[in-house]
Amino acid sequence: MICEECNEREATIKFAEMTDGELTSWNLCEECAREKGAAASLSSYAGPLVNILMGLLEEAEEHGPEPSGPVCPRCGLSYAEFRSSGKLGCAVCYASFHGELKPLLRRIHGTTEHTGGVPSCREREFDSLKEVKRLQSELGRAIRNEEYERAAELRDRVRAKERELASTAGTDAPGTAGGDGSGEDVDVRDDDA
Amino acid sequence: MWTFETMMHEPPGWVSAAGPRSDVILSTRVRLARNLEGSSFPNRATDEELVAIRERVLSAMAGSNYLTNALFIRMEEASPATKRVLVERHLASPDFADGGAGRATVVGEKEVVSAMVNEEDHLRLQSIRSGLQPVDAGRLVQRIDCELERNLHYAFASDWGYLTACPTNVGTGIRVSVLAHLLGLARGGRIAQVLGSVSKLGLSVRGFHGEGSAALGGFFQISNQTTLGQSEEDIAYTVERVAGQLAGLELGAREELGRKHGRRLSDEVHRAYDVLSNARMISAEEVMEKASTLRLGVALGLIDEVDLGSVNRLLVVTQPGHLMYVHGGEPTEAQRNGARADLVRNELKSCE
Ligand SMILES: [Zn+2]
Ligand SMILES: [Zn+2]
Repeated sequence: MICEECNEREATIKFAEMTDGELTSWNLCEECAREKGAAASLSSYAGPLVNILMGLLEEAEEHGPEPSGPVCPRCGLSYAEFRSSGKLGCAVCYASFHGELKPLLRRIHGTTEHTGGVPSCREREFDSLKEVKRLQSELGRAIRNEEYERAAELRDRVRAKERELASTAGTDAPGTAGGDGSGEDVDVRDDDA
Repeated sequence: MWTFETMMHEPPGWVSAAGPRSDVILSTRVRLARNLEGSSFPNRATDEELVAIRERVLSAMAGSNYLTNALFIRMEEASPATKRVLVERHLASPDFADGGAGRATVVGEKEVVSAMVNEEDHLRLQSIRSGLQPVDAGRLVQRIDCELERNLHYAFASDWGYLTACPTNVGTGIRVSVLAHLLGLARGGRIAQVLGSVSKLGLSVRGFHGEGSAALGGFFQISNQTTLGQSEEDIAYTVERVAGQLAGLELGAREELGRKHGRRLSDEVHRAYDVLSNARMISAEEVMEKASTLRLGVALGLIDEVDLGSVNRLLVVTQPGHLMYVHGGEPTEAQRNGARADLVRNELKSCE
């Protein structure tokens, strides 16, 4: 058997990976196996993983419209190029391919919402966004329950928060929020009055 | 004093076997993937952009309190042997080491903290520790990340978190992995079942199986599979908890092995020691296999001529790139096998 990595040498070792109880394996020669190393960089197999996941997605949307898909205005990468390489070209790609990436992220991670750490200069904005989302879902509930007075109040609060966000987004200078303090700030809300 | 020479001639700090559960877990590695806002990811940046990004990242790192004395290795200035040593120590990935312009490896004292600049992402910050320490190692890289973030503006989206070149890393950008020595489970024939259940907990398992059942030493890597939707702490904690349970199972399997086949195992362990301490030529594969057996013997108290740290050290310093560095030039395979045998003998002699 020929090595699946270099397609040159004889494969003598089976490299196995187990994910969700499913076993995937590659037949490798000793040299390639050593390069992959028992603790080698995970990124080397991230490409194929994405391709496999996208292969599955492609089957589902076989009759999709344009073949090359959208193009990122900042770096010029097309979605089709991403599909073959598994790598995005810049941070703006995430916004450019937002609709396409969302189901992909759900497939890879099982969710599409980040709940981990936030850069300190973005903490306030991040908190406001969370607050908007919370208010919006409360608003939906109020409307479903026909509590129109409460809904109107919630709608105004959502609008106020969104205006506040739009005004801070422009002046997004790094390091403006918080100093070197340990971050356990008291949550002060002054929009109740 | 931490210099390039010390790094190349001394094994990394994590081989010491001083960390918790070192009898089963060789090392823990935690890495964060980060990119700078407003710059193309490395795969789409020009050489000039890559160099500019590298210098920005390096100057931020030079100001870190956790990286005083760190070595800044610009890859175009590194020799082929240096590159291979970095790869074998897990300080650089193979493609990165051979790659083009604008790349750098940063190595902190005793290799506790290191970084790749312009690998798949602009910054890959990592900590490698002895034994089972995902939570501690995770805290350390996050603290350094916080410090760097004062000078580096990271690409971040409020819904998807830290943005990375590959969508498999998006969100926290954290990868927590442990290298486990599971020879007892492999010998006992339970490895597939145990690893199968680990993989159902959202962790991925990688390892090598040769022709024989555990030809390549029974070493396996366990790591988190997803990076989005959980906090960094939760991810590190999950790996720590599962690897801890795995270590418990491995210890049980070793004990059973010792109980049922004590004499045979003891014979095998002593033979492995004899080969290692007397061979005049030896291949990397044979060192790995014999060292793995020896490691099991040390952990079970079947042999006291060596300690775990020495066995770990053997696994690191006998790799081809290390020998190439010590030997100078391009040694032939026979020369390498000879030099490797000398090195192993010296190593074992020094701990008697
Ligand atoms: Zn190969
Ligand atoms: Zn782009």
